[in-house]
Amino acid sequence: MALRAPSRGVLRVWGLVLAVASVILPALPLGPVFAQPPLPLAVLWAAYGWAAEDETGWRAPVALVMLGLLHDQLAGGPYGLFAVLYLSAYLVGRVAAVVMSAPNLVSLWGGFIVTTLISIGIAYVVAPLGLGRNVSVMLYAQAALITAILFPIVRPLYMSAGAATRPGVRR
Amino acid sequence: MRRAGGGRRVPPGVLLAIVLVVGGLVLVGVQAGRDGGPGEAVQQAGDGAAGAAGAAATQPARAGEGFFARLAGMWNAHARVEELERENQEMQAWRELAERLAERNARYEALLRMPVDAFGEGADIENSIAAQLVLDSGGPFTRTLVANAGDDHGVRVGYIAVNENGLIGRVVSVGARSSRILMLDDYNSRIPVMGEASRVRAVLAGQATRPPDLYTSPFQMQSPRLDFIVGAQSLREGERVVTSGDGGLYPRGIPVGVARSSGDGQWRVALAASQRPIDFVRILPFVGIERPEATQVEDEGPPLNTTSSVAAVGRELTQAPPSALTAAPPRPRPATPTAAPAPRPQPPAEQPRAEPQPEPAQPEPQPAEPQE
Repeated sequence: MALRAPSRGVLRVWGLVLAVASVILPALPLGPVFAQPPLPLAVLWAAYGWAAEDETGWRAPVALVMLGLLHDQLAGGPYGLFAVLYLSAYLVGRVAAVVMSAPNLVSLWGGFIVTTLISIGIAYVVAPLGLGRNVSVMLYAQAALITAILFPIVRPLYMSAGAATRPGVRR
Repeated sequence: MRRAGGGRRVPPGVLLAIVLVVGGLVLVGVQAGRDGGPGEAVQQAGDGAAGAAGAAATQPARAGEGFFARLAGMWNAHARVEELERENQEMQAWRELAERLAERNARYEALLRMPVDAFGEGADIENSIAAQLVLDSGGPFTRTLVANAGDDHGVRVGYIAVNENGLIGRVVSVGARSSRILMLDDYNSRIPVMGEASRVRAVLAGQATRPPDLYTSPFQMQSPRLDFIVGAQSLREGERVVTSGDGGLYPRGIPVGVARSSGDGQWRVALAASQRPIDFVRILPFVGIERPEATQVEDEGPPLNTTSSVAAVGRELTQAPPSALTAAPPRPRPATPTAAPAPRPQPPAEQPRAEPQPEPAQPEPQPAEPQE
C-alpha cells in the first residue's frame, strides 16, 4: 500500500508546531540540550517560508509578532526584540522570494542563509538598543547559523521548492 | 489576485509587517534603560503565568526523571548499599575530625573576638525563602531564571539566590508569585569577589559569549571572567572564590566557585552553583544599599552633567571656602530616602541648567553695604 504524502496544510501545521516549540523549549528547565543554541530558531524558517508562500495575507506577520512577543516574555528581554528580528526575516524573505524567479533547493537555501545573516546584522543593531551595549549577539548568531544549516531538512514544512505558489511568478 | 512582484502595489501583508517592525522598534526603544513602568509590570505578570505553565509542562519530565532513577537504582541496589556503608564509615571519621576542628576554630574565634560566621555575613539565612526554578533562560541574549516564589512569598528585588553549592545570582524582578533571577554568567552581572585564602579582590564579569560545553560537563554554566584583579599574582589555581561584600549588593563570604587560569593570563571562575542542574533555590533576604535612583538628593547647586565635564570637575575642585559673604551652606543629604521629596528650588531664569559654567565657582563678592 502506497503512503500518501501529507498535504500542504498538514505540513504547515507541523511547521507552526516546530516554530512554537523552538520558542518554548529553551525556556523550560530541561537541560542544556534544549538551550538556544544548540536549538535552532525555527521561527526564522517560518518567517522565510511564509514570506514566500503567504502572498498577501496578514496572518504570517501577526503570527510572527505573537511568536516574537512570546519569545521576549520567556527570555526576559524587552518586548519587541524578537518580534523585530522575526519580522525583518519575513521582509527579507519576501524580497528574496520576489527576486528568485525560478527557485530550486540551492537558491532557496542560499536565500535563507542571506536572510539569516541579515537577521544577525539587525540583531547587532537592535539588541544593544534594548538590552544595553554590553549585550553579546554571539549566541544568537550561533543559533541562527545552526538554523541555516538545518534549513534543507525542514524546508518542506514551510515552503515548496516549486515556483507555482511563489509571489512574483506568473502562472 | 495581485502578486507581490507582479504589481506595483505593496501587498497588505508586507505593509502590515513594515508597520509592525516599526512598532517593535519603538517598543524596544521605549523600554530601553527603563526600570519599572507598565512594560515591567506586564513582564512580571507574564513571568507568573509562564512560570505556572512551565511548572506544569515540566512536571512529567521531573516525575519521569525520578521514576527512571529509581528504576535504574533497583538494578544495582545491593552494590549501592555496600558503597554507601563504606562511605558512611569514612564520613564518620571525617565528621569527628570536622567537629574537633570546629571546636578548635570556635575557641580561636572567641579568643580573637570575631563575629559569628554565617552563610554570607549579613545574609538572613533564618528567613530565607525556598523556591523551585520553573523557567530557564529562554533566549540567546540573557541568562536569567524564573523561580516560583514572588511578592506573595516575601521576595524582593535585590534578594540573593543560592543553592546548596553556592551563589546563583540576584533577584532582579518580582511578580506576585514568581521572581526572575539574573545569573552570574549573564553579561549584565558584575559582582565583587575575592579569593578566600589570598584575599585577592576582583570583579566577576559575566560573559554570555561562550556556550556551555555539552559533552564534558553538561550542567556547567559559562565561566565568568575575573576583571580588575588586585594582586593577581597571589591568586592560586583552584582557590575558592567568595563574594567580598564590597559595594553592598551581596553579603560577604558566599561561595561563588573556584578560580581557574585560562592560560592567556585571564582568570575565570568555575561556578559552584553549576556543579549540578539548578532545581531548588534558596532566596536570601538581603538588600545592602539603596539604589541611587531611589534616593532623592536635595539640590546642592548646579548639576554636574553639564556639557563640559571639565568645568564641572573644576567647580568641585575650586569650591570657595566658606566666608561671611557666601550664601547659606549646602544642606546635608538625607540619611534615608524620603517618601515625598521636598520640591527643588527653581534655578534662576537667566542661568539655564544645560549651559556650561565657564566662570569659577567662587561667587562674585557682593559690594559691602554702605555704612550709614
